[in-house]
Amino acid sequence: MRTKVKVALPEMVLTRILEAFGQELIDASDEEIIEAAKDLGMDPHMRGSAAFLGLTFPTRLNVSDVFDLQAIKDLIPRSKLSRISTDRKDSGQK
Amino acid sequence: MPQTLKLIDKRVLLPAETALALGTVSRMELLRLKTIARVYARGLPPDVAWDDLLQEALTRIILGARQQPEGVMMVAFVAGIMRSLRAEHWRRVGKRSGGNEAGRLDRICDRHRAVDIPEPAPGPERSLSAQQELKAIDRLFADDPAALKIIAALGQGLSAEQIRGALKISKSDYDSARRRMRRALLREGLTCEPK
Repeated sequence: MRTKVKVALPEMVLTRILEAFGQELIDASDEEIIEAAKDLGMDPHMRGSAAFLGLTFPTRLNVSDVFDLQAIKDLIPRSKLSRISTDRKDSGQK
Repeated sequence: MPQTLKLIDKRVLLPAETALALGTVSRMELLRLKTIARVYARGLPPDVAWDDLLQEALTRIILGARQQPEGVMMVAFVAGIMRSLRAEHWRRVGKRSGGNEAGRLDRICDRHRAVDIPEPAPGPERSLSAQQELKAIDRLFADDPAALKIIAALGQGLSAEQIRGALKISKSDYDSARRRMRRALLREGLTCEPK
């Protein structure tokens, strides 16, 4: 009689490993976290530390995170107006 | 006509910022959760990022959709929500790919009775993604053969004691390998690199 070989599905194996990793990280001490951050040149105690990327500031920046969109909206019509008045002055001089 | 009050600060806060401001989590707990979220996001499609998992879990707590049971630490609680979000994602994917079958079962079941529909078998997409992630984990610990053996045994579902017995390693060797694994996972979890 042939021996039956049980092959675990990769997704099952991965789930078990990830759960074990998750438990390891739940149990990690604050000191270990600080040491790991230091390895990466980060200081978690610093305000705006890169360690908080994706937590307190987004990993994917939107235009609105960098620029004040309302101010730009207000500025565009004003700059258009000033350009039109300059164009008129130029054509009047000719 | 009533006037709408103008807000002084119009910033949109991320759920993690809100949780921090409310004192739901501490800064150190947030960092720990970041590393856990990165682990649980492994094998998920690119449109479900680690920060989506974590911010969604925190949103559910802030909104009161999930309540912390007594005696459960906040980090373990949030990690549990992220784990269930991950499982929820795969259930949704399974239902989508086996949509016809699910629809047929929905139609035959009684509207007023709860009917347990078994979770659909994982599709090829999930298997392939899991294989790639297992390779990525192997690469992460490539320079630590002891850790690789322990990880393989964890994948087989062995307990710490069974692993020590199977690999014939002492408790101190096992513990130091686990410490190295934890350090590598923490570094990987805190990095600014996208994946």
